[in-house]
Amino acid sequence: MNEIYFNAYAGYLEGVVRGYRDGLITAPQYLNLTQCETMDDLKLQLATTDYASFLQNEPSPMSTSTLSARCTDALVAEFQYLQQNAAEPISKFLDYITYGYMIDNVILLITGTLHERDTHDLLEKCHPLGFFDTMPALCVATTVQDLYSTVLVDSPLAGYFRECLSAEDLNELNIEIIRNTLHKAYLEDFYAYCQSLGEPTASIMSDILKLEADRRTVNITINSFGTELSKDDRAKLYPRLGNMYPEAQTRLARVDDIDQVKAILEQYSEYKAMLVGVSLGASSGGTGANDVTLEDRFFAREVQFNKDSFEQQFHYGVFYSWLRLKEQEIRNVVWVAECISQQQKDKINNYTSIY
Amino acid sequence: MAQAAHKDRTLIAAIGDEDTVTGLLLAGIGDIDSHQRPNFLVVDSKTTQATIEEEFTSFTQRKDIAIILINQHIADEMRGILDEYSAAFPTVLEIPSKDHPYDPSKDSVLKRVQLLLGD
Amino acid sequence: MNLTTTKTRLKGAETGHSLLKRKSEALTTRFRAIVRKIEDAKLKMGKVMQNASFSLAEVAYITGDISYQVRESAKHATFRVSAKQENVSGVLLPAFERDTRTGGGSQFELTGLGRGGQQIQKARAVYMTAVEMLVELASLQTAFVILDEVIKLTNRRVNAIEYVIIPRIENTISYINSELDEQDREEFYRLKKIQGKKKERAAVAQRETDAKATARREMPVRDILAEQVDEDIIF
Repeated sequence: MNEIYFNAYAGYLEGVVRGYRDGLITAPQYLNLTQCETMDDLKLQLATTDYASFLQNEPSPMSTSTLSARCTDALVAEFQYLQQNAAEPISKFLDYITYGYMIDNVILLITGTLHERDTHDLLEKCHPLGFFDTMPALCVATTVQDLYSTVLVDSPLAGYFRECLSAEDLNELNIEIIRNTLHKAYLEDFYAYCQSLGEPTASIMSDILKLEADRRTVNITINSFGTELSKDDRAKLYPRLGNMYPEAQTRLARVDDIDQVKAILEQYSEYKAMLVGVSLGASSGGTGANDVTLEDRFFAREVQFNKDSFEQQFHYGVFYSWLRLKEQEIRNVVWVAECISQQQKDKINNYTSIY
Repeated sequence: MAQAAHKDRTLIAAIGDEDTVTGLLLAGIGDIDSHQRPNFLVVDSKTTQATIEEEFTSFTQRKDIAIILINQHIADEMRGILDEYSAAFPTVLEIPSKDHPYDPSKDSVLKRVQLLLGD
Repeated sequence: MNLTTTKTRLKGAETGHSLLKRKSEALTTRFRAIVRKIEDAKLKMGKVMQNASFSLAEVAYITGDISYQVRESAKHATFRVSAKQENVSGVLLPAFERDTRTGGGSQFELTGLGRGGQQIQKARAVYMTAVEMLVELASLQTAFVILDEVIKLTNRRVNAIEYVIIPRIENTISYINSELDEQDREEFYRLKKIQGKKKERAAVAQRETDAKATARREMPVRDILAEQVDEDIIF
């Protein structure tokens, strides 16, 4: 990567994205949000943020789902602005980011097709970032076989589908396994692509993506306990990258309970710190206000990595990081809104603060 | 009520908003019978009043449903039908939804309860 | 004869009345207990359901929207209820119970595999308890509706017996009684009359005999000789 020319083709966009980053909600603003008593108060507080223009036309009372939808609209608008102004190779990088959402959308359509629903209704449930031009064409397919060939021809995901799945698999495998297989392929591909971009993008993105891969690995392990997913299948779903690849993954593929996972994780210094104070175990019914889950810790760590990526210049990681931070922020805002609308104030501080 | 009539009633039907139905389905009440009829209905802003009423009536006439759960704010829309509905099977139960906290004063059954307790 | 049957009927009605009254009282006691329970449960339900939907919000925080997926993966109910019956003073009250036979396996166990699976399982558990509570409430409510109906019916019967049947039977009895009295009186009168007649007749007869006797007494001893006032026979 030649830093001298970076600004010539990416300088503007980087400037924009850093501007966006400054628009993220800060800790004092969060504090204000958590003090709100009603959704109207919350809306008023949000009027000082980037979401203002998206929320001002919403009639009161606003439901949390509307809030979430409008915030996503805001995110999408900003992202699309970036995309429209991007040239190669940033545009390619941005496209890569959207593939993850596309996978979810295609999975949604597959689910619909499998159950013989009218998939046109599903289009609006799709994540707008994962919308690709030929997606409506997928709705025409009425059988899974049709759908499979349409995906191969028409979608940017063709590669992932071709490599991992056959048309029969769509019918036979659990939809979640398909989803995770695709995500795994996507993650590996994205990782390889980032490496090809050279330093410093490669190293920054590799940190972030490795964390993502590790998180998937751990989650798949924990969530597959006591399910029909066999240990071999489990191992197949692990992305082949990350700090835990390959040594710890082979061991994770064999474990049967949460304590063993913990033991393996503790061998990694960065995860050992994360485990402190974390209550593992999905079945513990009572959740105290200060319960921290492993997911929360992963979120916090991801936020940390993404923040760090802004400390460097001349790389593409900022775009990815910004998107992740923004998503986290939307989750936070929606969380606060849920807490307010459902009067569960004692948990309102469980969001992952960014700045 | 014939003896056999409620032995077959094992299902819980649900009419509600997306979140409520999702939660109830998570608990495992969802069922799709041999005629591809689900035992739940998701009501959103696009669902018409007529659809809801029709679905409700068809639920009440099915022989395998023991309980019908219905979001209170949806129940409010068809209060007339509910107030008239007095059969013991299937039981109609009004439940609160996420965005609409429970308001005891509107519940058809609770209204009767309070009337009885009041005297 | 009829009086005896009617009297038995009255007795029957009275026993029935007191029995029904006792039944209605028993039912009402039960009913009141249920009503109170329903009120509590309904109010508690608000809280429980709120918790449940909040756990779904936690899922949404981690995983995003799963509703469509969940909706489409529903195939067969794993959470079913079975109805058993309870007998309260001869009224069969259904009670729903969670059917444990079908419990266990879940079609959602792989949902959220890559992300948020734990939260989903937690939300599932919360919703399961919530639904269990709803089921309990539903059986209370069914009992309420049925009992309400039965109590109304019983009370109608009690009232019918008290205000219609018993008075009617009593009327019949008093009518029969009056009729019998009337008959008695008639009989008495008839007897009196007969007696009078008999007396009259006896008196007449007496008189006749007396008269005869007097006549006989007064009748001089027939002196045939004297009587025989022989005409002088003139030859």
